[in-house]
Amino acid sequence: MVKSVLGNDPFVRGAALRTEVGQSAPVTSLTSQPVKLQKAPPQASSGHAQDPSTTSGGLMRRPATAKKSGVTPLRAMPPLDPKKPSASGAGMRPPLPLHSREAFRVALKAIRSAFDRETLRAVGLAMGTLLHAPNSRGGKALPDIYGMDSELLARLAPLREFLYAHYWRVSVEGAAHLPSGPALIVANHAGAVPLDGPVLAEAIHRERPELTAARWLLEDQVFHAPFLGTFFNRLGALRACPENAARLLGEGRPVLVFPEGIQAISKPFRDRYQLKRFGRGGFVKIALRTGVPVIPAAILGSEESLPLVGRMPLAALGLPYFPLTPLGPLPLPSKWSIRFGAPLDLGGRGGEAADDIAAVQELTEATRQSIESMLQSMAHSRRSVFAG
Amino acid sequence: MAGVTNPGPPRRVALTGPTGSLGALLLPRLIADEGVESVLTLGLRAPPPENSGKVSFQTLDLSRPDAEGTLTAALTDGKIDALFHLALLLGPIHDPALAHELEVVGTLQVLSAVSRAQVARLILPSFTMLYGARGEKPAVLPETATLHGCPASRFVTDRVRVEQEVALFAERHPGTLVRVLRFAPVLGRTVDNPATRLLRRAVVPTLLGFDPLWQCLHEEDAGAALHLALRGAKGGPFNIVGRGTLPLSAVIHEAGSQSLPLPTPLARAALRALNGLGVTSVPLNLLDYFRYSWVADGEKARQGLGFTPRYNTREAAASIRGS
Repeated sequence: MVKSVLGNDPFVRGAALRTEVGQSAPVTSLTSQPVKLQKAPPQASSGHAQDPSTTSGGLMRRPATAKKSGVTPLRAMPPLDPKKPSASGAGMRPPLPLHSREAFRVALKAIRSAFDRETLRAVGLAMGTLLHAPNSRGGKALPDIYGMDSELLARLAPLREFLYAHYWRVSVEGAAHLPSGPALIVANHAGAVPLDGPVLAEAIHRERPELTAARWLLEDQVFHAPFLGTFFNRLGALRACPENAARLLGEGRPVLVFPEGIQAISKPFRDRYQLKRFGRGGFVKIALRTGVPVIPAAILGSEESLPLVGRMPLAALGLPYFPLTPLGPLPLPSKWSIRFGAPLDLGGRGGEAADDIAAVQELTEATRQSIESMLQSMAHSRRSVFAG
Repeated sequence: MAGVTNPGPPRRVALTGPTGSLGALLLPRLIADEGVESVLTLGLRAPPPENSGKVSFQTLDLSRPDAEGTLTAALTDGKIDALFHLALLLGPIHDPALAHELEVVGTLQVLSAVSRAQVARLILPSFTMLYGARGEKPAVLPETATLHGCPASRFVTDRVRVEQEVALFAERHPGTLVRVLRFAPVLGRTVDNPATRLLRRAVVPTLLGFDPLWQCLHEEDAGAALHLALRGAKGGPFNIVGRGTLPLSAVIHEAGSQSLPLPTPLARAALRALNGLGVTSVPLNLLDYFRYSWVADGEKARQGLGFTPRYNTREAAASIRGS
């Protein structure tokens, strides 16, 4: 099976197209010089995510791969299909050197705002909370019944702004697909420490401020882990279980779920954007029983932010493993893109279909495929992991 | 577990354990309640004298095998409409066998006496702690949640057993309206229970990296909830919790104490060593309450009892500062 193209992925030099997991590692050519660019021929079947050979790849392509797909190795152009949504005007992009300059400017801006006093204070606060400092000394506000501390979130605002707007430069498409009432938003899950929940919740808050605050559900293992579970809980995370989902949906909230669960965040970096199985379809059952729409969402950039490069066994601390990442707890400044898809078509099924295993499986798989195809098309139009 | 009949407003009230923390909170409210004609108190020690003339006392030792007969006679003679069974422990005691006698066997005697004397209402206190603190629980626990308890704690296990017996009794005796009030840790100047003893220490050990949500109930609210349970028609268990939740570290801080976060393996090892030396007898499972949130939903009490707490969890925690 041909697996998805990851766009221009510096972590896999010259291996934009990966046919097998194990093949992503071999490096054919390591060149840091910009490659002389050729004009791409017009592409007949552009924009179809299922055919990775026709869409933009890396600086270099592995000849074998290219030969197999019958396309000359080129710096491929982004798809020209106008129907295909693309963040920044596909086909009209400046050549790469100019883009690097732009990236440099973005980086400078990010660094400047990183050393802003407010941001530094917020970083200190975040570290303090993470390390168990009583979070609300002298404060008047109580956390809500689920543990979210809105006072803390307000004090972290400069850090949130920095990470969202300058560091990860999150771009969002399709926020109009979100209904005004409760919704189950199903997304791909990634990162050694799953940052996709807070970022997705922040994106919804920024794009659709009129909606009731979204909450995200996380796998049990996060809450068994010291520091992480408490910290995420204060930011608004809850344990993923039907009771919690039903309660939050009953409050009219968008609820973010990551059905891949722990499998997705414990997978090695080389398996990035390979969607794991979607559990037992719990989210479909809830949607069928409550009649709440399911909105698929694809998140690109999360895998490269905190890539899992190793797992240190830490049974002594009651943890399955300690995640090893390139800069420790510091995420990398990959560019994040989020795309919301059209609501899943439940085919007019009602609550009784929740007990129909076949129907649940079918809808679960349809959601998975919808996210996968969005991810692929987003990866194709991405030229650089860091510059976007 | 809901009562089928709605007994009229109770006039003659009895309570066991008048000198305990909850009895002391409830008794003044019953005396001030004009709808209550008389209050029969049953226990080992008489409540402090007062001059309303409503209160009478009779000795009752629930750990004795003949307690049931004494209680039945007292309930029948006094034509009692409602019984508060408050002669229950608030925390583990040094003699687990006596505790078991008093809690489980004592409650069975009370249940049997209530059915013989055909008392219309029975009200018992319990704890939200009985749900157990577990990573696998929903964020907010309704009354229908399973009582997982705390397997190694004899005290909690006994109380889960008491609740099971009471639930069974309520099912079989639709003529008696049975209410179980599951209290969050009750804090205040006058009460003494494991939670207040923990929070009155200068330093409270906690688990490093975990800061679960706790709910606390101000003693005034606990008394008010007990009093409210006297009237109304809805039976079954009710979570009685203060407004809002607070991370444990903030509860400790509000109570005027210092938290000392210990790495979980170290805390377990230390506790095991202390238990082994006989210094403490704290089951290791109790550490779960320092690790996972156990938040109960107070909505049913608001609707079924009309109970709205006056104090929030922060104020409840602050109420024991300096006491």
